[in-house]
Amino acid sequence: MSQSLAPECNELKERYDTCFLKWYSEKYLRGVGTTNNNECSTMFKEYNTCLHRALKERGIDKLLDDAREDNKDNDATLMGRKKCKTPQRPEH
Amino acid sequence: MKVFSNSETFNYSWEEVSTANWRKYCPWNNKSTHVTAVDTVSRTLDPETGILRTERLITCQQSAPEWLKSILGGCSESQVLETSYVDPRHKTVTMVSANLTLSNLINVQETVVYRPVNAHQTQFTQEAQITALCGGWQRIKNSVEDALVKRFRENAAKGKEGFEAVLAMSRHVFAEERERERERMSLIQAQAGNIRMAAVAA
Repeated sequence: MSQSLAPECNELKERYDTCFLKWYSEKYLRGVGTTNNNECSTMFKEYNTCLHRALKERGIDKLLDDAREDNKDNDATLMGRKKCKTPQRPEH
Repeated sequence: MKVFSNSETFNYSWEEVSTANWRKYCPWNNKSTHVTAVDTVSRTLDPETGILRTERLITCQQSAPEWLKSILGGCSESQVLETSYVDPRHKTVTMVSANLTLSNLINVQETVVYRPVNAHQTQFTQEAQITALCGGWQRIKNSVEDALVKRFRENAAKGKEGFEAVLAMSRHVFAEERERERERMSLIQAQAGNIRMAAVAA
C-alpha cells in the first residue's frame, strides 16, 4: 500500500486500506455491500481524524474545498442524479 | 488550452482493473515513484444508485523541467485531488483529477474512464485539458502548456507499464489468497469429519 502524506497516520491508513480492499473485492463488486456503514467505517473515521488534522496544519484543507467547488458539475453528472429527475411544474 | 488524449486496452477483467486501481500507486508500481503519498479524504456510497464516490489526495514530487520550476517558484511537492465514481451497475470507473497546487497559474483537469470491452478485457481512456492561466505573453502560456502536454505523453507509456505490474501482482496475490482459503476449508472439513467419526464411535 502507498504511504500517507502524514507519517503519523500511516498505521491507521494501512489498516483501513486493507479492510477497504477486501470489502470492495469480496462484497461491493458482488452487490453485497450497499450501505455506507460497513466493517471498515470505524477504521475510516480513525484514519480521517488523523488525516484531517494533518491537512489543516499544512493548509491543504482550504485547497481541497476550492477543488470540490470546481468539481460540482462533474458530481451532478457522474452521480447519475441530474438526468433522472425532471423538475415538476406546479399546475395552476 | 491544450488537450492530451490516450486510450489503452488491458487484458484483465473490469473487476480486476477496478480493484487494482486502488493500489495503482503502491510499491508494486516502480514506474510511479514520483507519487509519494495517496490519502483517501472522503468516501461515500449512494444506496440508491450503488455508486461509490471517493476523493483521493495524491502527493507528488514534481519532475517539471528546470525552467518551468523557476517560474513556479521551485516548490517540489504538489498535490492532485482525484474524485472517482464507481458505477457497479454500468461497470464504469470514472476518475476526474485536478491540480490543487498552483491552481491559480495552471489548470490541469484529467478524466480517466475504465469500462469493460468483454469479460477479460478493459478499456482505459484518458483526456487531459491543460490551461495556463497566468496573465502575460501568449508565447509563455503556450510554452507552459506544451511542456505539460509533453509530460503527459511521456508519462502515459510509463503509466501503462506501471499499472500492468500492479495488475499482474494483484492477480498473483488473489490467487494465493484463494488457495489459502481452499486449504483452510479442506482442513475444517477434515476436522468436522473427524469429530463426526468420534461422535459415531462414542
